[in-house]
Amino acid sequence: ATDLRLSHQWSTSDIRHKVAQMVADEVAAADVDLSIRIFPSGSLFKAREQYTPLTRGQLDMTVLPLSYAGGQHQEYNLTLMPGLVKNHDHAARLIHSPFMAELEKILNDDDVMTLVPGYLAGGFVGKDKCITKPEDVSGLQIRAAGKAFEEMLSGAGASIASMASSEIYNAMQTGVLQATNTSSSSFVSYRIYEQAACYTPAGDVALWFMYQPLLINKTTFEDLDDAQKEALLQASEKAEAWYLEQAKLEDAASAQVFEEKGVEIAKMSEEDFEAWRKLAAETSYKVFVTEVPDGQKLLDLALQVE
Amino acid sequence: MSGTAPATPLTAAAAAATALPRRDASHPFLRFAATLSRACGVLAALMIVASILVTCQMILVRFVLNGSTTWQTEFVIYMMIGATLIGLPYVQLLRGHVNVDLLPIALPRRLRLGLAFVTLGAAFAVIGLLMFYGAELWHVAWARNWTSETVWRVPLWIPYLAMPLGFGLYLVQIAADLFAVASGRETPFGLPEKP
Amino acid sequence: MDPLLLGLIVALATVFVLFSGIPVAVGLLTVSALFLLAFDGLRSLSLMPEILFGKLNDFALLSIPMFIIMGAAISSTRAGADLYEALERWLTRVPGGLVVSNLGACALFAAMSGSSPATCAAIGKMGIPEMRRRGYPDGVAAGSIAAGGTLGILIPPSVTMIVYGIATETSIGRLFLAGVLPGVMLVGLFMAWSIFSTWRSGNMAVLGQRSYPWRARLEILPRVLPFLAIIAGVLYAMYGGVATPSETAAVGALLCVVIAVVIYRMWSIGAIWVVLRDSTRESVMILFIIGAAGVFSYMLSSLFITQSIAGWIAELEANRWVIMLCVNLFLLVAGFFLPPVAVILMAAPILMPIIEGAGFDPYWFAVVLTINMEIGLISPPVGLNLYVINGIAPDIPLGTILKGSLPFVACMVLGIVILALFPGLATWLPTLVMGAA
Ligand code: NA
Ligand code: NA
Repeated sequence: ATDLRLSHQWSTSDIRHKVAQMVADEVAAADVDLSIRIFPSGSLFKAREQYTPLTRGQLDMTVLPLSYAGGQHQEYNLTLMPGLVKNHDHAARLIHSPFMAELEKILNDDDVMTLVPGYLAGGFVGKDKCITKPEDVSGLQIRAAGKAFEEMLSGAGASIASMASSEIYNAMQTGVLQATNTSSSSFVSYRIYEQAACYTPAGDVALWFMYQPLLINKTTFEDLDDAQKEALLQASEKAEAWYLEQAKLEDAASAQVFEEKGVEIAKMSEEDFEAWRKLAAETSYKVFVTEVPDGQKLLDLALQVE
Repeated sequence: MSGTAPATPLTAAAAAATALPRRDASHPFLRFAATLSRACGVLAALMIVASILVTCQMILVRFVLNGSTTWQTEFVIYMMIGATLIGLPYVQLLRGHVNVDLLPIALPRRLRLGLAFVTLGAAFAVIGLLMFYGAELWHVAWARNWTSETVWRVPLWIPYLAMPLGFGLYLVQIAADLFAVASGRETPFGLPEKP
Repeated sequence: MDPLLLGLIVALATVFVLFSGIPVAVGLLTVSALFLLAFDGLRSLSLMPEILFGKLNDFALLSIPMFIIMGAAISSTRAGADLYEALERWLTRVPGGLVVSNLGACALFAAMSGSSPATCAAIGKMGIPEMRRRGYPDGVAAGSIAAGGTLGILIPPSVTMIVYGIATETSIGRLFLAGVLPGVMLVGLFMAWSIFSTWRSGNMAVLGQRSYPWRARLEILPRVLPFLAIIAGVLYAMYGGVATPSETAAVGALLCVVIAVVIYRMWSIGAIWVVLRDSTRESVMILFIIGAAGVFSYMLSSLFITQSIAGWIAELEANRWVIMLCVNLFLLVAGFFLPPVAVILMAAPILMPIIEGAGFDPYWFAVVLTINMEIGLISPPVGLNLYVINGIAPDIPLGTILKGSLPFVACMVLGIVILALFPGLATWLPTLVMGAA
């Protein structure tokens, strides 16, 4: 029997755990002598320490925000780039575009392959006011999830406070932070609604999209027999459809939680989005292109996706 | 409960009330290792001081000037890791790594000596292992140009260097301790000999 | 192999290795290396430095050396003596007099120091000789300071609470608040016992007689101001929107060093170096244990031991209070031998699912766990505070110190029982200040 170990950082009620669980269950049901053992909540590896063991086969599988490995491959930073993805349908098209194929090549070189691709969206919360357009963040202390976002928000005149995500709640409460942006599900699980005056969830358009695929070590995969590979790929295909569907629901669900707690819900308009995107082009995109050889080519590939 | 006072000064405060452990310096190697370890101690202490100052600077920039604070958190984390790993040999020199010395105290002299060789040998082996794999990781980070994922983009070989360096220097001090016990210059576990 | 059986073997091996006199951190690394090699092969062994580095890669750990420096800086000055003297002048009318003011001084000092032995040393240096001079039995003098010193990790700030917060991903600010009222309760119990034992020994009249005129009482107050300034500064930074709890620790450390230098005239580089050296030594020791325990818990998780034990206990379906009793006994025994930080780090990943599964509040449990660790600090064979006292007053036999601190152990057990009956003691203040968890 083959036993694979899957590690991730989320709780067992999180959508990303459920994606992993779904693949594990489907594979088990296929009865191909293959089982996947999930280590949730960072019980095996810490969130940002999963990629390296994955590349070396010390870990078999993971569900990982790919930008966490952005220090090893600058190209991965494109998977958490403001304004690059407009909404979930756009994300779904991006996943099967030549752009993602380029990233897959880089993954393959690291002996990693993608099983279930998927994007999750997020929004902004403000402690005292709503944040929809660049002018709104000027002069605020803000904690941004991701390097490219920090660059853009800094360009909008915000002050960047770097801190662990576990400290956001406390920092919002005491006023160290006046705004933050992260994923819809994290907003709910960190109970940020208790400390926010206004929430700008992902809607028809959203700025914050993060690519968080289920990955497997390539050699591990290739060492499986044909029946096992087939079962794993089929389970992954099923999970991908479900992941997309749930990702869309997640945004609305988080907005509902915030609304029920009496938090004002703001909406980002098409014009706001374009203003942010313009700002991102002058800040984050520019930095990316200068830092990454071939960066322009990759960025163009991503921007080509309609 | 044995009436023997422990040789290990268990905490900083305890040591403030007691004296530092006396270490033998009658051989050049022991002196060399002790000097090296003391230098490590000074470096580690300076790293801790740097963390205090940078953290306070960060609070000042954020709270008073309302400015961006992007590099400080990361700087402080790497300083703390550096202080810990580089500080290892110094703490070994001061016998400051807390241990449970029940068995050594209970054993007769000869067995205690044997046990000292076993524990120091095990420590040498396991720290050597960490140094080896730490050096390997450092080399990969250096060769592949890994950086941190922040705006600051610290080349990771710099903080990773603390692993081969800290564990390596710790090995030197453990070797010195082994030599001191083997040559009869120090008692096993630094315990007083029974009359 | 069955993970539960494997777990038993790991437990025995760990006890055996740690008892050999090897440093705790190195022992944990040795056990981890052996089992990873045996059951996971070489590929896992090469992960060890990476995991150790990753465990230390956490900003919250900064507060450990910072809170240790706070204690070390203050205890290296006259500050402890000042605090102690002020309390004595004000509390002499209280029956039990001196011992009560010593316990009060321990509690106040604990509000500035993150570590227990530092608290013990700071107050004991002054308090023990004074109590003995005034005719208190050696056991009472030594035992009360040993026990009072343990409050250092219950009354915030607390190094062990920080370690618990990191290990269980709970809020450090909340944990600190949870320790306040139980800390006050323990001081109360300690004082009650001291008064009772003084009365029972028939010394009440002698020990309580000295009194100070109002002038002497008022005169000393300015010398307590630096303390109040530090405590107020730290609280303001932490809860007033200036900084996060981990950052606040650095402000506290800087404040304490500055006050030691400016007000207490600790001007020589040598004196400052002693503070730094001692703090570095204690911090590195603790941080190394944290890193090593990270490798140890990776090994436990990787071999599926942690998950199996938690699952096994959940399946027992025992009464939750029976589970709590077993957990307490386990912590107590572990605390007899190991330093608090090591116990918390090794036990937290296994205990947390059990505790939460049985419906206990993690903040309440943190307090119960801390009191267990306090008992370990004054119990043989490895009781850090006993050794601190032994260092301050080498002529008091360890047996006498031990006998003197035994009644305080009983107070702590009583404290745990009270907490079990009134969990609100731990949960009320955090909820009041920070809202529902
Ligand atoms: Na304290
Ligand atoms: Na003990």
